[in-house]
Amino acid sequence: MKNQINLSILCTLLTVCCLFVSPLPSAQEMTADEILRTMTETMNPEQAQGMMKMTIITTSGQERTFVYETFSKNQGEKSLLKYLEPTRVKGQTILMLNDADDIWTFFPRTKRVRKLATHAKKQRLEGSDFSYEDMGASNTFIEEYESVRHEDEKKEERLCYKLELTRKPDSDAGYSRIIMWVDKEYMTPLVIDYYHDDDPELWEKQLICSNVQLIDNIYTPMKCTMYNKLDDTKTSMEIIEVDYQVDLPDHLFTEMGMQR
Amino acid sequence: MKGITLSAIIWLIATAGAYAQVDIYGYFEPQYTGLYLNDDYNQTQSNKLRVDLKSTALENVEFGADVIYLLYFGKKEWNVLDFLPDRVTSTIAPELYPLYRLTYDDSFYLDNVYVRIANYRLALTVGKQQISLGTGYFANPTDVFNTKDALDPTYEQPGHNAIRGDLFLKYRLSVTVMYTPIVADWKNSGKLVRMKAGIGHFDFSLIGYEFQDTTTNFYAFEEYQQRRRLVGADFVGELFGLGIWAEGIYNFVEDDDSYEFLVGSDYTFESGLYTLLEYHRNSLSKSDYQDYNLNDWMRFFVGETKTISQDQVYGLIQYPITDLTKLGSSIIFSVSDQSIALVPMVYHSLFENVDLTLMLNLSIGKEGKVFSSALGTGGFLRAQVYF
Repeated sequence: MKNQINLSILCTLLTVCCLFVSPLPSAQEMTADEILRTMTETMNPEQAQGMMKMTIITTSGQERTFVYETFSKNQGEKSLLKYLEPTRVKGQTILMLNDADDIWTFFPRTKRVRKLATHAKKQRLEGSDFSYEDMGASNTFIEEYESVRHEDEKKEERLCYKLELTRKPDSDAGYSRIIMWVDKEYMTPLVIDYYHDDDPELWEKQLICSNVQLIDNIYTPMKCTMYNKLDDTKTSMEIIEVDYQVDLPDHLFTEMGMQR
Repeated sequence: MKGITLSAIIWLIATAGAYAQVDIYGYFEPQYTGLYLNDDYNQTQSNKLRVDLKSTALENVEFGADVIYLLYFGKKEWNVLDFLPDRVTSTIAPELYPLYRLTYDDSFYLDNVYVRIANYRLALTVGKQQISLGTGYFANPTDVFNTKDALDPTYEQPGHNAIRGDLFLKYRLSVTVMYTPIVADWKNSGKLVRMKAGIGHFDFSLIGYEFQDTTTNFYAFEEYQQRRRLVGADFVGELFGLGIWAEGIYNFVEDDDSYEFLVGSDYTFESGLYTLLEYHRNSLSKSDYQDYNLNDWMRFFVGETKTISQDQVYGLIQYPITDLTKLGSSIIFSVSDQSIALVPMVYHSLFENVDLTLMLNLSIGKEGKVFSSALGTGGFLRAQVYF
């Protein structure tokens, strides 16, 4: 389970897109673990509600657009995603609990709720470059990877910490190696390079986040795009609206909540 | 009567759309079906229009309905006896053959119409509604309301008249009670209770149901009704990285008690290859194909029973060859009579709201077996255009 979380930061980032920035005393001296921990701790707001637009550019160059509502609580430990568009998937709902270790899907046309095993998280979400596991939130980067800090670099014209994460030997996380650039001012990841599960030299995906805005005192990248280097496809996530000042009830994150 | 119903539905749609916060959506589904049978090629085309209405204008109250209009072209009339072995058909007098016709008539009907009143703890749903029970993919022993098409098991099921209450007692613990007033009196109407609990990565359910069960004697075309009580259970979860599930029931009836169960497992490989395997046993069905009789076949065709053979294995593989196209195949192997149905399939997302499905059906078995090659070789091409 924690295996999937490597993406989960990303997922939180994309689904909820809520990146806190805490004051960072002596940031210059921070170690890789401290940067990662600070980023992870601040990336997940206590609660969030928003509307997202996901645009997929397929291998054939076609564009597919999905709009969905998202709700998250307990710093992303619980999240719920409900499709609004297109009509083909309207009303379909995905509930993720325990940092996406438990996933249920609800299909409104058949009124069927189906529980997915964790392997299903490898499946693409509506053909996008994000899998179910990418959409869950957790602290996989900390728990599943060893991190090393490299010399700071400029990325996307911003000064960044550069970290290299290597999967721990006993971990079954989905990527063998990750390189990320974390904005030194916002403490948000600006670029994340993901390397293949079986080959640490095979560059599989790249996530680029942009248009960081301060919303309710939370630095929020309004757009993140995942480039699939192997399939030559990309999927972007844009925030249409987001609200961090919400009080979401627990019952929203239940089977009943999925069907409402 | 049909005209009045049609007018009422159109009025309902127009009024609802005009006055309330009503979502109107649905799909159009043209389907071409071909079947090569007894040296003849037969074709049927159907056009299905489904229009859904949903209103949540009042807080905690949801009104939903859908109407379906179905038109058929091509070969609309089939005779079940054309698919059955001589051993079975020879027992029927030729003048009775017309009684075994199945005709696809154009139809227009309200498939679902319900109101759901719900707060965070209690939901009450009244009306004709979708009922989905069980964790199986190929079949659901605990679901006595629906009979899945073994070749296309995920296709939507019809609505059922019921009064349903869902009570959420606490986190991942709920109780469902249902009353299905299908017949005129309380005693013989269906009464269901189901408790569902989540423990760790598993969901468990216990179910009890009693209702009036109808079986037909297709030699005499007489219906036989008896009280049926069943208890059952299901679960879904994960073990050693594999998705696993099971469900089963035990039936208490006047004639003879029976049981039915299904176990299954699935796994998705890193490449995206999805695999699923299920084993299903129905003690009411026959273990020797020489014992299949007219009633077995007819009850299967009209949905009174889920299977003809007692034991079957269902397998499914699916692989996304592109981000818009999935290739796959299912296989149903009757362990009881050693016959096989192979169902290759292709799913393609043509446009944002247009899906295409191509499904073939190859039956490989001796005459008289459940997947006899005498059932023909065919397939369908289906488009679903959502609006």
